[in-house]
Amino acid sequence: MHVRTGGFPVLIMAVACLPAGTGPGQTLSTRHRNAAMPEIPSKDDTHTTFRYPLRWRIMDALNGGLDRFWPARMSPYTGWALIMPALLLVGVLVLGLFEMADNSLHTLDRATFRLSEAYTLENYQTVMESATYGRVITRSVFAAGLTVFFTLLLALPYAYIMVRTTSSAVRKALLVTLFLPFFIGQVVRAYGLLIILGTTGVANNALGLVGIEPMRLLFNFPAVVFGLVQYMLPFAVLMLAPALTAIPRETETAASSLGANWVQGFRHVVLPMAKPGLIGAGLVVGTLALTDFAMPAMLGGGSQDFIANAIYDQFFRTADQGLGAALALLLVVLGSVIVGIVISIFGAGTLGMGNRK
Amino acid sequence: MSTEFSRRGVLRAGLATSGAALLSAMPASRLLAQEPEKPSEIIVRAWGGEWVESLKNGVSDRFTEMTGIAVRHDLTEDNEIQPKVWAAVAQGRVPPIHINWDTTTNATKSALRGVTEDISDLDNLANTTDLAKPVGLEGYPLVNTYGYVYVLAYRPEAFPDGAPKSWRDLLDPKFKGRIALYNDGIGFHFPAQVAGGGSLEDIPDNMDACWDFVREMKEQNPLLGEDPDFTTWFQNGEIDAACTISTNALAAKKNGVDLAWTVPEEGCKFDTDCLWIPKGLPDNELYWAKQYINLALSQESQQIWLDGLGLPGVVPGLTPPEGLAGDPSYPTTPADFEHLIRISSAVQVQNESDWFARFKEIMQG
Repeated sequence: MHVRTGGFPVLIMAVACLPAGTGPGQTLSTRHRNAAMPEIPSKDDTHTTFRYPLRWRIMDALNGGLDRFWPARMSPYTGWALIMPALLLVGVLVLGLFEMADNSLHTLDRATFRLSEAYTLENYQTVMESATYGRVITRSVFAAGLTVFFTLLLALPYAYIMVRTTSSAVRKALLVTLFLPFFIGQVVRAYGLLIILGTTGVANNALGLVGIEPMRLLFNFPAVVFGLVQYMLPFAVLMLAPALTAIPRETETAASSLGANWVQGFRHVVLPMAKPGLIGAGLVVGTLALTDFAMPAMLGGGSQDFIANAIYDQFFRTADQGLGAALALLLVVLGSVIVGIVISIFGAGTLGMGNRK
Repeated sequence: MSTEFSRRGVLRAGLATSGAALLSAMPASRLLAQEPEKPSEIIVRAWGGEWVESLKNGVSDRFTEMTGIAVRHDLTEDNEIQPKVWAAVAQGRVPPIHINWDTTTNATKSALRGVTEDISDLDNLANTTDLAKPVGLEGYPLVNTYGYVYVLAYRPEAFPDGAPKSWRDLLDPKFKGRIALYNDGIGFHFPAQVAGGGSLEDIPDNMDACWDFVREMKEQNPLLGEDPDFTTWFQNGEIDAACTISTNALAAKKNGVDLAWTVPEEGCKFDTDCLWIPKGLPDNELYWAKQYINLALSQESQQIWLDGLGLPGVVPGLTPPEGLAGDPSYPTTPADFEHLIRISSAVQVQNESDWFARFKEIMQG
């Protein structure tokens, strides 16, 4: 077995499994065995009392396969090899964006329903001059902002209790409640809200018990934001929990010993230290909400479209790929600018980048 | 090298030579008269619910019975399948479906783009009415299979004085938030033009009256959705009235919703749906796809299919479904069409995007 120095972690494990006297640079094959070394039986020698362990055989096979697939001389490129699939995936997305950028520069020829040959900025001009798209873009950004605010407001205490509770039953219950919605798609959850918040739904029935007439709870802007908050809450809690876990419990005890009550300790100790988690969760929730399609489509009653709905209309309803591509690119630019501003002011939070701005 | 010729060998060679000569001299039509290889299945894009059930009963099951070819229904939305088919044809790939059941306006766009096969050689076309022929297109790149009306469907309970006489009746404050329209306004633009005080002759050049009435309707805070939404909203008691295709109202009624429909004095939009075949299919599959459409145009298939939809077909002599004879949603005579508004596909195709955009502009405010 040829044991390489460096390379994949699995090799280190393999070395750790070797008996004393063997190590990197030494081999176990009979061909290379040194007479001065302790006697190590061959795996092929069935007559010896020492039994060649199965895991050695497996490691030999794995290492042999690895050597053939990725020779030692390629070690400097191992990192690149690992990141290559992700780079390829991003590359495909970038190629798609280039294609869309090209499409966005052609208008639809309604005589042939193909994109015209000439390059023009007319689609972008249409978007800029349209009052509809102005309203749709403003609504999307405003709704994303509200969703971030309300989601973090609800997620922070949830995550805090989940992390700090001493009761394992409570923690498990909170975790199960958190993960359950992940098993249900967004559309199904939106449909569930249609049933609960409908004119004859559970919510209105409950209101009826206290003498309140049925009211329209759906098909308006608040209903869309409510649906988005409900959808985003698990994402935010999952982003916040590691950040809160990283805050030593002793810091709160220290604040308390210095005279801070719980609220003061939470405000002056926990919140500032949870900032990376809040920013990371805010960025994820904000971008997902900004680009959402299903909630405005299902809970908005057709009059609360977001940018994604407008893009869908152009691609699939009016077959105008040029205008749809222009809207899609504007959404990418808008989202990137907002995220860029947040990162430049607050840093990337738990999204990484070494906690640097 | 010596070669020996036997009598049998000479006879075999003679037969083979004369057979080849005969085949090469035979007209192509004679050769095609032989049934091409059958595919294991053909894929027909369809709308779900009552729509696909009716197609299955009237055409698909009969086709499978007659040919042994299974029919798979692809329920991808018509608007969503369109770019997929266009992309497949543009890239020279085999399209994802064999037959598209489509709105005539959408199909006309595909025909203008040149992605539809000509189906003017179908035998059963000879037995169809003028309604089957696409307007403003050469030959038959698509064939209309029935007509339908965007009626004013309503809950009788909400209209105790009887059916609404005018679209303007919906402006009553008691219907605020209780009306539904299609989210692009389809079906509503033309009656709105009349209800707003305009003229149908002004379409498409001057539709100010239409947009004025849409603005009035916007004040009523209508719900905007698609076909399935209307049924759900009626069932859940969310709405009292909707501008929708009569088939959806009929389906809701069959499901136990107390519902009626009418054609108000300003009229209702009449339109057609069609079948067409995308380019790029292998020859044998194209042949069987054509046979499917041919069967859909037969009297028996039309009767069963359209009984399910409650719509008038394109072959003469069909019996109206029970309860629909004389119904405004089931026009068959010239008198029936007097209150229906039919605008040519050509005009709709050229202007539909602008109408949708204008409607959205008002409703998204």
